[in-house]
Amino acid sequence: MFNPENLIRKGLPKGYFKDILVRSLLGGITYLMVLIAVLLFGKIIIDGAPAIFTSEFPFVDTEFLTAKNETLHVFDDAKGTRHQLPASKYNEYIEAHAGQQIYNEQTFSYSGGGIAGPIIGTALLTCGSIILALFFGVCAAIYLAEYAKQSPFIHAVRLAILNLAGIPSIVFGLFGFSVFVLAAPVITANPVDRSLLVLPLFIEGWALSFQGWNSSLMAGCATLACMILPVVITASEESLRAVPQGFRDASLAMGGTRWQTIRKCVLPFSLPGILTSSLLAITRVAGETAPIMFTAAVAAKDDFPWEGLANPFDILSSQVQALPYHIYTLAARIPSSEYTQRAQFGSVLVFLILVAMLSFGSMVLRAKMRKKLKW
Amino acid sequence: MISPNPQSESSGHRFQRRGFSFERAIRFFFASNAGLTIFILLLIIVFLLREGLGFFPGYRRELEVYRIAGLEFVDISRKNLTAHEQVTSLLNRAYQAEINGKCLDELLRSQEASALYNTFNDQVGPTRDLILNNPAATTGGDDGMLAVLRANYEAQRAKALTNLPATPHLSEAERQELIDSLRNRPAEATDEPPLVAKLNAAFAAARQSHAEPLQKFRETIDNFETAGMDLGSIVMEMTESVTATKEAIQTADILEKDRKTLLAAAANAKDPIEREKLIADAKAALADKPDVEGPMATLMEKKPDCVKVHEQLATSVGEIFPSLPGSLTQAKASRYLNAAKAAWPVLISDIKATPAKINSWTHTDPVPLSAAFISFLTGKSWVTGGEWQDFYGIIPLAVGSLMIAIVALTIAIPVGIGAAIYVNQFAAPREQALVKPVIEFIQAIPSVVLGFIGIMVFGTILREISTYDSLRWVPGFPIDERLNIFTAGCLLALMSVPTIFSLAEDALNNVPSAYAEASEALGASRLQTAFRVMVPAAFSGILAAVLLGLGRVIGETMVVLLVAGNRIKIPDFSEGIGAFFQPSHTLTGIIAQELGEVPLGSVHYRALFVIGITLFVVVLGINATAHHFLTRTKK
Repeated sequence: MFNPENLIRKGLPKGYFKDILVRSLLGGITYLMVLIAVLLFGKIIIDGAPAIFTSEFPFVDTEFLTAKNETLHVFDDAKGTRHQLPASKYNEYIEAHAGQQIYNEQTFSYSGGGIAGPIIGTALLTCGSIILALFFGVCAAIYLAEYAKQSPFIHAVRLAILNLAGIPSIVFGLFGFSVFVLAAPVITANPVDRSLLVLPLFIEGWALSFQGWNSSLMAGCATLACMILPVVITASEESLRAVPQGFRDASLAMGGTRWQTIRKCVLPFSLPGILTSSLLAITRVAGETAPIMFTAAVAAKDDFPWEGLANPFDILSSQVQALPYHIYTLAARIPSSEYTQRAQFGSVLVFLILVAMLSFGSMVLRAKMRKKLKW
Repeated sequence: MISPNPQSESSGHRFQRRGFSFERAIRFFFASNAGLTIFILLLIIVFLLREGLGFFPGYRRELEVYRIAGLEFVDISRKNLTAHEQVTSLLNRAYQAEINGKCLDELLRSQEASALYNTFNDQVGPTRDLILNNPAATTGGDDGMLAVLRANYEAQRAKALTNLPATPHLSEAERQELIDSLRNRPAEATDEPPLVAKLNAAFAAARQSHAEPLQKFRETIDNFETAGMDLGSIVMEMTESVTATKEAIQTADILEKDRKTLLAAAANAKDPIEREKLIADAKAALADKPDVEGPMATLMEKKPDCVKVHEQLATSVGEIFPSLPGSLTQAKASRYLNAAKAAWPVLISDIKATPAKINSWTHTDPVPLSAAFISFLTGKSWVTGGEWQDFYGIIPLAVGSLMIAIVALTIAIPVGIGAAIYVNQFAAPREQALVKPVIEFIQAIPSVVLGFIGIMVFGTILREISTYDSLRWVPGFPIDERLNIFTAGCLLALMSVPTIFSLAEDALNNVPSAYAEASEALGASRLQTAFRVMVPAAFSGILAAVLLGLGRVIGETMVVLLVAGNRIKIPDFSEGIGAFFQPSHTLTGIIAQELGEVPLGSVHYRALFVIGITLFVVVLGINATAHHFLTRTKK
C-alpha cells in the first residue's frame, strides 16, 4: 500500500552527527586561536598593568612613560629596609647617607627609570621611514596606476615589488648595514680609509665619500623605508585604482593635462585610502627589530636624542633607542627577577597598546571608508 | 607627447619644441620612482654578493692553513676520539637512566624536597645575610637594629613559607615536617633540614642497591673508556705542536697583508720622500717564511704510533661489544643502549679505515676553491672564535631552521586552514565579525613581543607541564631547556596562522559562487559542499597560503633568536622525537646574534653574508612557487 508518510524521512538526517562533529571541531580550532590571543594579551595586561597604571589620579604612572632609562640598584640599608632606586637617585642617596653601610646590593641593567628614550626613538624611526616610504611609494604607485602601459619595464617593476615584499627582515638588516651604514655617500672633508669611492667636489677640500652613515637614525629610517616600500606601493595603487575612471575622463575631456587630472581629480579622492593603509605599514615598521639592530638601535643611551647636539641635524646621524630593541634587550640580556618585571612587562604592555591602537585605528578607518566611498 | 593643438609645433618655449615639457618631466619623475624598486632590489643583490663572495677565497685560505699546519692530520684521529667519547657518553647515559628509572620515586622525592628548601633559601637569603654580615651581630653593638633585622627576617620567612613549590611526591605529613623544620630553624643554621638529608640518603641508598646488579655493565663501560685513553694522549701531544705552526703561518699572513697595504699606499703616495719611507716600511715588514717542513717532519714521525694506536683500539672495541647487556628494563635506557649498539659497527669501521687515511695524508695536497664551497654547504659544525680551527658549516643552522619550521607548520596548517574553512563556510556573519579582527590583531603583534612571551611565559609553562608524571611517556619529557625547538615552533605557529588563515580564506572566497550553488542544487550537504567542492577548487590557493606561511616562518628572526635556545649543534637524534625538545640555532638567528660582534671584512663576517644570500634565495624560491600557484588559481 502506498503510504505518503514513508516518503518523509524520520529521525535525524543522514550524516547528522558527522556534520556536527566536523563543524564543532573546526569551530573549536577557530575559537582556540581566539582564546590563545585573549590569554596572551590578558597575561601581559595583568603583569604589565602595575608598571604603568596607578591607583591615584591620573591613573597612569607618568614617570614610567617620561623618565629616562637607567640601571636599577636594589639594596638594603642598615635597618633592613629594601630600596629600589634608579642610578641617578641611587647616587643622591649614597651622597646623602655617606658613611652608612648598605647590604645585599644588586644592580639590574636597563630596569630602572622609565622608557621615554625608546618611545621617542621608535617615534622618530617610524616617522622618518613613513615619510620616505610614502613619498617614494605614492609616486611609484601613481606611475603604475596612471601612466603605465604593458611594457618590460613595468613587468620588471612588478616583479621587484613582489620580491621585495618577500625578503626576510634580517636580510634587510644585512642590506641596510652594508649599504647605508658602510657605503652610503656623505660629504666630508676627511674621508676614512675604508671608503668605497671618493669624489672630490673642488670646494675647499670637501669630497663626496661613499663611507656610509654609520649606525644612525637616518640609516635606520632608510632601511625601514626600503622594507615597507612594497606595502605602501601596493596599497596606494589599490586606492588610486579605486577612483572611478569617469573622474579622469571628465577631467581630460575638459582639456586638463594628465598631471592636472592626477592632482585635482585622482589624488584628493584616494588620499584617505592611502593614509589608512599606511597606518598598517606604520604598525609593521614600529614592530620590526631585525632591520634596526645593526643600523640604528642602541641598547643604552643617557640622553634624549635632541640633547647635547651642536646642530639640530645631528639628530639624524645619532643612534637612538627603540622600543622593540629595548624589549629584546630586556628579554634576552638580563636575567628575570621580581625587580625587572616592572620594566619588562611594562615596556611590552606600552608597546602592545601602541600597536593595538594603530591596528585598531586602521581597521575602523577602513570600515568607515568602505561605507563612505561609494561612487 | 603629442600636443592637442596642431599649431603648437611653432609656438611655446624652445625646450617644449625639443620635446622637453613639464608633463614629460613629471611622467619621468614618477617613472623613476617606480624604477626605484628595481634599483633597491639590485642594490640588495649586489651588496649581498659583494660582501658575501669574498668568503669563499678567504675560507679556502683558512682551510689551506688547516692542512699545511697539520691540523687536518690531527683531526683524522680526533674524529675517532670524539666518536668514541660520544659512544661512551651514550653508554653512561644508558647506565644512569637505568638506575634513575628504577629509583624514580626516590629521585623525585629528594629533588622536590631540595627544590622546596632551595626556594625557601632564595627567598629568605637576603634578609638572613643582613643579620649575619651586620657588624652589630658579632660585636653586640646596636641591639635595637638587630631586633629590627630579626623582625624583618621573621616576616620574610613567614612570607616564604606560604610561597613554596608543590611537592606531589611527598606525603602531606612529610611536607608539613619539612615546613615545620624550616619554620623553627635558627637564622644562623647552614646545614640541610633533616628530611632533605634523609631523602638524599635514601636516594643514594636506592641508587647503590640498583647499581649492584649492573656491576658488569659498569665495568664494560669503564673498559671501553680506558680503551680510548691512548688515542686521547697521542692526539693531545700532536695538538700542541700543530697549533704553534698554525700561529706562525697566520702571523706571516698578517704581515704579508700589511706589506701589500703599504705597497699600495706607496704607489698612491705623491710625495717621493713619503713613498720611499713606505717602501722601506714594506720591506721591513717582509715576513720570514714560516718553517712548515720542520714541525711537519716531526709530526709525520708520529704516523706509525698513530696507526698502531688505532689498530689496538679497533681490536679492543671489537672485543668489548659482546659483553654489553642484551637489553635494559627502562625504555629511555634501552633507547640509549640501542643507539650505542647501532653506532658500534660504524665506529669500528671508521677506526679500521683510519690507518689508510693517515698513511695517504700529505700536507702538500692543494686545496681547491670548491673545497671551501663544499665545506660550507655540507659542514656539520659552525665553530667560530675557537682556538683550534674555525669551521663555517651551514648544516646545524639549516637543520635548526627546518625543524622549527616543521613544528610550526604541523601546528599552523591544520589550525589555519581549519579556521579558514570554518569562518568561510560555516560561521554566521556575526562570528566572522568576531574572529577575523582577532586573527588580524594576532598578525599585528610584533615578533619581538611573541619572543618575549616565549621567554617569560610559554617556555616556563611548557617545562612545568613536561614534569608531570602522567606525561612521562612523551619522548623527550621532562625537557631540560625551557627554550627549545618546540617552544620556538609553537610561537612561530601562532605567527603564521594569521598568514595562512587570511590567504586560505581569500582563496575560498575566490571560488565562484556557482560551484557552491551547483553542488547544493544536486543535494549535497554543507559538509560535502565544503570538503568535496570548495576546498578542492581552492586547493592551489590554499597551497600558496601554506607556502607563504613557510616563507614567513623561515625568514622570521626575533622569535627564534629569543626562544630557540641558541645552541649551535645538530640536535641529538638518538633521542627520537625528543630531538624536537632540544635547543638549536637558526639561519636568521645566527646573523642577528653575530653580526654585531665580528670584525668588518673578516671571513666570519662574510660567512654571515653568505647565510644571508642563502636565506634570500630560499625564501624568494618559496615565495615564487607560492605566486605560481596563486596565478594559476586566478586563471
